[in-house]
Amino acid sequence: MTQDLMEKPAVQSFDPSRDNVSQGRNQSTGGAGGGSEQKGRSNHWEVRTQEQPYAFLPEQPIADKNRYGQLIDLVDLTGLPKERSLFINENPEVGSNPNRNKQHGFFFTADNCIGCHACEAACSEKNENPAHIAFRSVGYVEGGSYPDYKRMNISMACNHCDDPVCLKGCPTRAYTKHAEYGAVLQDPDTCFGCGYCTWVCPYNAPQLDPVKGQVSKCNMCVDRLEVGLKPACVSACVGNALDFGVIENTPENRQQCKTDIPGFPSPDITHPNIRFQQTKSMPLELTRTDSMPVKYHRDEEGSYKPAIDQKAGKAKHWNFGRLNSRENPLVIFTLSAQAAYGMFLITIVSALAGVTGFSEFVTSDMFALIAFGAAGLTGLGLLMSVTHLGKPFRAYRGFNNLRHSPVSREGLGLALFKAGCGITGLLSLPYNSWFMGLFGSEAYVSEGLATPVVAAALFAIIAGFGGLFYMNKCYQIKARPFWNHLQTTTSFAGNSLSLGSLVSAIIVLPTLALSDIAIDSAITVLGSTFALGLILEAIGLWKHNKDLNRSENEGGAAHYVQCTTFGKTYLLRNTVLAVNLLLAIGLLALHVAEMAPTTLLLAAWVAVAIASVLMALVSRALFYILVIPTTMPGAFFWKNKGFEQHARDIGLADNPNSGVVHLHH
Amino acid sequence: MLFGRSKRKPIKIPEKKVQEWKYTTCNYCSVGCSIEIGLDADKKIVTTRGHAGADVNRGKLCIKGLLEHELFTSPGRGTEPLIRERYFDKFEKTTWDHALDTTASKIKEIQAKYGRDSFAVVSTGQLMTEEFYTLGKLTRGCIGTNNYDGNTTLCMASAVSGYKRSFGSDGPPGCYDDFEHTHCLMAFGSNLPEQHPIIYWRLKEALEKRKFPLIVIDPRVTMLAQFADIHLPITPSTDCVLINSMMHVIFKEGLHDEAYINAHTQGVEELKALVADYDPKIAQHACGIDEDTIRNVARIYAKAPAAMSIWTMGINQSTHGSDGVANINNLNLVTGNIGKPGGTSLSITGQCNAMGTREWSSCSGLPGYRALENEHHRKEIADFWGIDPEFFPKKRGLAQTDIFPAIETGEIKGLWLVATNPMTSMPNLPRIRKALEKLDFLVVQDVYEDVETNQYSHVYFPAAVWAEKQGCHTNTERRVNLISNVLPPYANSKPDFWIFNQMAKRFENGKVIHFPEDTEEAFEEMKHLSAGADRTLDISGMTYEKIIAGRGIQWPFRKGSEGVKGDPRLYTDGKFQTPSGKANLIPIRFINNNEQPCNDYPFWLNSGRVVEHFHTRTRTGKIGNCNKFSPTPYMEMNPDAAHELGIMHQTYVRLTSRRGDAVVMVQLTQRVPRNMVFIPFHFHDCVNRLTLGLLDPYSRQPAFKQCSVRIERIEAANQAEAARINFESRNF
Repeated sequence: MTQDLMEKPAVQSFDPSRDNVSQGRNQSTGGAGGGSEQKGRSNHWEVRTQEQPYAFLPEQPIADKNRYGQLIDLVDLTGLPKERSLFINENPEVGSNPNRNKQHGFFFTADNCIGCHACEAACSEKNENPAHIAFRSVGYVEGGSYPDYKRMNISMACNHCDDPVCLKGCPTRAYTKHAEYGAVLQDPDTCFGCGYCTWVCPYNAPQLDPVKGQVSKCNMCVDRLEVGLKPACVSACVGNALDFGVIENTPENRQQCKTDIPGFPSPDITHPNIRFQQTKSMPLELTRTDSMPVKYHRDEEGSYKPAIDQKAGKAKHWNFGRLNSRENPLVIFTLSAQAAYGMFLITIVSALAGVTGFSEFVTSDMFALIAFGAAGLTGLGLLMSVTHLGKPFRAYRGFNNLRHSPVSREGLGLALFKAGCGITGLLSLPYNSWFMGLFGSEAYVSEGLATPVVAAALFAIIAGFGGLFYMNKCYQIKARPFWNHLQTTTSFAGNSLSLGSLVSAIIVLPTLALSDIAIDSAITVLGSTFALGLILEAIGLWKHNKDLNRSENEGGAAHYVQCTTFGKTYLLRNTVLAVNLLLAIGLLALHVAEMAPTTLLLAAWVAVAIASVLMALVSRALFYILVIPTTMPGAFFWKNKGFEQHARDIGLADNPNSGVVHLHH
Repeated sequence: MLFGRSKRKPIKIPEKKVQEWKYTTCNYCSVGCSIEIGLDADKKIVTTRGHAGADVNRGKLCIKGLLEHELFTSPGRGTEPLIRERYFDKFEKTTWDHALDTTASKIKEIQAKYGRDSFAVVSTGQLMTEEFYTLGKLTRGCIGTNNYDGNTTLCMASAVSGYKRSFGSDGPPGCYDDFEHTHCLMAFGSNLPEQHPIIYWRLKEALEKRKFPLIVIDPRVTMLAQFADIHLPITPSTDCVLINSMMHVIFKEGLHDEAYINAHTQGVEELKALVADYDPKIAQHACGIDEDTIRNVARIYAKAPAAMSIWTMGINQSTHGSDGVANINNLNLVTGNIGKPGGTSLSITGQCNAMGTREWSSCSGLPGYRALENEHHRKEIADFWGIDPEFFPKKRGLAQTDIFPAIETGEIKGLWLVATNPMTSMPNLPRIRKALEKLDFLVVQDVYEDVETNQYSHVYFPAAVWAEKQGCHTNTERRVNLISNVLPPYANSKPDFWIFNQMAKRFENGKVIHFPEDTEEAFEEMKHLSAGADRTLDISGMTYEKIIAGRGIQWPFRKGSEGVKGDPRLYTDGKFQTPSGKANLIPIRFINNNEQPCNDYPFWLNSGRVVEHFHTRTRTGKIGNCNKFSPTPYMEMNPDAAHELGIMHQTYVRLTSRRGDAVVMVQLTQRVPRNMVFIPFHFHDCVNRLTLGLLDPYSRQPAFKQCSVRIERIEAANQAEAARINFESRNF
């Protein structure tokens, strides 16, 4: 190095006598509204006295399109007018940032992050978040062997994606992607706390607060951006790892601008607006310190793909107690809605097809029980789904995003199904002798189902199909590969048939028997449908197992947990399913061949039915508990599901300063 | 692309509505960051921000500083003075007068019965400098005990001792700006990203502007070690061997700075003779660094136009702490790297005002780096305070780490603890607990009444914290900075300054010595005592106004100095504070006296800091957004070693040592070698139940980082019990 480099004062800006801030110790050193630093800037944020260059957004040439071919100027893209105010906290002033209509994003130099939590602290301080909520979190992956050991910390918040799946998924339309900065902002006052955005986001950006019962997330510090300052987390970074700017711009002193680093989910899902530099060589394999059974393996191209990390060994356990989770209401919701749809569908279709017994049944007084029962069961399901919300009294907002959200469509479909069932029941009442008898009137008589009743029932069937179709869609999520599989569909359809036929049988068969109508055909139809349901479910499970056993992603990891932590439960479920299926087919054969007394057969059917219902509950509980999303790696305590559960178990979560809260709200 | 909606959703972002920013300095570590506290229209504290115009931090703050304003109302703060007859009785609230009267009469009673030195005072590095000065006046001038020390013995005593031995005086000679000028930086046992993130940032900024070699000596692969150009994973405590061996290479290859050595040092021949025994071929077996690497590092360091060393507890907290510091100084003296830009021996201090207590508290001597052993110094201070010089002892009394053993032997009967928590911070906790039980009288003065040590106290004084008071701190680079009083003390707590003043009134000499009511007046006294052209510690040119204007001023800053910038470096003229004016080259022979891993206790036990916590967690444990990153202790352990013992990640194990046992959660990581475990020291009833803490012969600082433990697996069936034991120790 040359001598003059040594002699030159390193940082020119630190001659405090140059600046003109007040000198008195009890005077303010710069009031709100600011001094010379604020000149030419809007009033959204007070620029600090003698603010440093690192905090300001740089002036750099801006590309027209991002690497996915999308325009970076969002006014050009959308045709929205320029110079609109964002009305941050109802402030009508238009921001002074000249690039405010360009898509912005974070830039993370993974080589540099020291995991010091300054970004997280600055964010939580600014946004006044309690300990258990964080818009930004730092986790890490590590690998190698002492002393050739490498830890890579990853600081991650919202990536304000080109294709914000959170926005699309949100049933309440709490999300907006703004033309200003391309910020994806969410309004907690609109949110009803269903948490669906937290399911679909691959980066764990939306934060569901179990205490407040609503979601909140990174707001890109648009108030700071409006005056030309980088977000608080970036300004606070002391590792020179986190940066921010117009997307596709590489910060000064950085050489790379890529879209993936180890531990970061595939950018294909949402086209996230984050870019990385990561030039230092990392070991072949990188592990996570949190409890997720996922690690990352380097492929031939040098990028890291998830792989299963058998953290819990291979021992199989029951863990029955853990089947009881906060997703219980959803277990009941999905099962009861599917059972309701199945019972209604099977009964109506069989009757319309002229199956002996069903044709008679639909004209009986008990038909009302099927119609109202289906409505009631759906109602129970919907009620359960509402209790799952953080803010149940905002449930009516669930239909606000029919344009994009499968949750809205599912809700609407099921609500219409419920209404259709109810109307079917109401329209059947004039033909119901018990009901008419209440008024001392004679019931009308109809040959089969009356036309209005059929119309209402068909409406219900179509609406219900829509509801269940979108219920299935809700779970076909790229960020949750365990669900994103045929098995979800077969499970939902299979349960509709198997549980539907069971509920239908409970009402139809006794009715027929008491009315001295032959039940043989009905048993054949119900038994076959039941068996068909089980077959569907079994096919799905078989394929799920086959696919996930070969899968190295989070789906495979979830399946690993299924086969170990819940290994015995999983085996039992599969065994019972297989035995039930065999029994059902056997009983059906005996029935058709008339080789056994009906009462004995019925007793056997009851046993199979009870086993099926229990297994459906276990099955669905596993479905919710097992799913592993494509989240970012956590740290040893923070964002470690295993530790969170432990903290709840041992009582650490009773202390609000532990950063873990209990899940009930 | 999806955009909005016909009607926009409102954007709500919390607004702090700051009406006024008040200047202050961070109260946690020694980096000395300038902070502005924001008050709203109701004068309520709503936020803090780093001061962008302050040279130290240039607007940046670490996690602790960013959230520091939350501590004023955190749970567990002391509201009223408390009193009780015996430590196992229930506390009762009392008045300040009664608490102070009782304490004063107890002190006098104990002193009358057992002698003046039977009552000890242990203070801290957390108070304001003016408070330290006042406590010194009270203890040395009024109470008159010689058993008076600070908890800085646990962190910086070795640096102080090493500086004194080499340069004749304490005081780090360099500054952060040296990063901008150096051509090689060697970090000994210093993990800047975790311990001093803002200094790390200053280093990173310098490295991004102009790359220079970074050499890190640490047995753990810390983030700094990982980012180093050369990482030396040294065998614990053998730094002196490494340095001797480096000097061996430097002398042998003629890479030393002959001119500098001749002009400004003494003792080079003895040093040369000693390091002749440390050929890398031999040294490599002791320190675990191969001979080629030793030579390589020695050459890089010696050939750099300017090279600097920094160190923290990896050096200080060892039986060779003072020796390690002296040896780092040797290395820099023989290469001519003292007192020049980018060439220095810079200790990175621990507590925010460790320097203030070193300079002004009279713990190890008398105010302003004066020594009890010096008759002239005794007279100077006695005259200034207006008391008889004979009241002062003629040599220093016990250090903090010797005070507790003296309680054990009955030599000391009463103790006053000021802002320190030995129940968590001291090594060999079982011994400390026993000692505290034995005290006739213990008074604890602390911000928090749930501080663990308070369980043994007879009187508790609730103290004000940080910006509830006014006064100065001195940081690692000798920068005096100001904390403005922003809000009144919490409940009926009082500034430590006030408590000392009130206590003084209850002693005879307290009526003779002037105890000013205002810290600024105390600062004037210190200025007066600091003045002197031959003194390095000269603050006589400073005023509170100038300190704010300069965002802190480095000493020396002499009366009549222009502007608001002090001297960035000491010894630029090559003149040292020794009688001869020359620096001492001190031959350091390494004798390994540490407890070593053995068959019974096969693991090294290492301890250290995490970024989110400060010291014994009394403050950061109450701030959720700090505490959540480690709400409970953990132990880094090598997965290969764990596999052998059948220990799983995130389960509890029981550790045993020759002192006691501890239950801790395991974090498996290759960051530590196979024969070492690492546990953060912040947690009560954890690592210090195990540590030995052998004392450095010069500094009396304990070797926290070198002892050995055994790891006992806890069966799955007993994990829940272990979790409960751990959890119960986390109850504040």
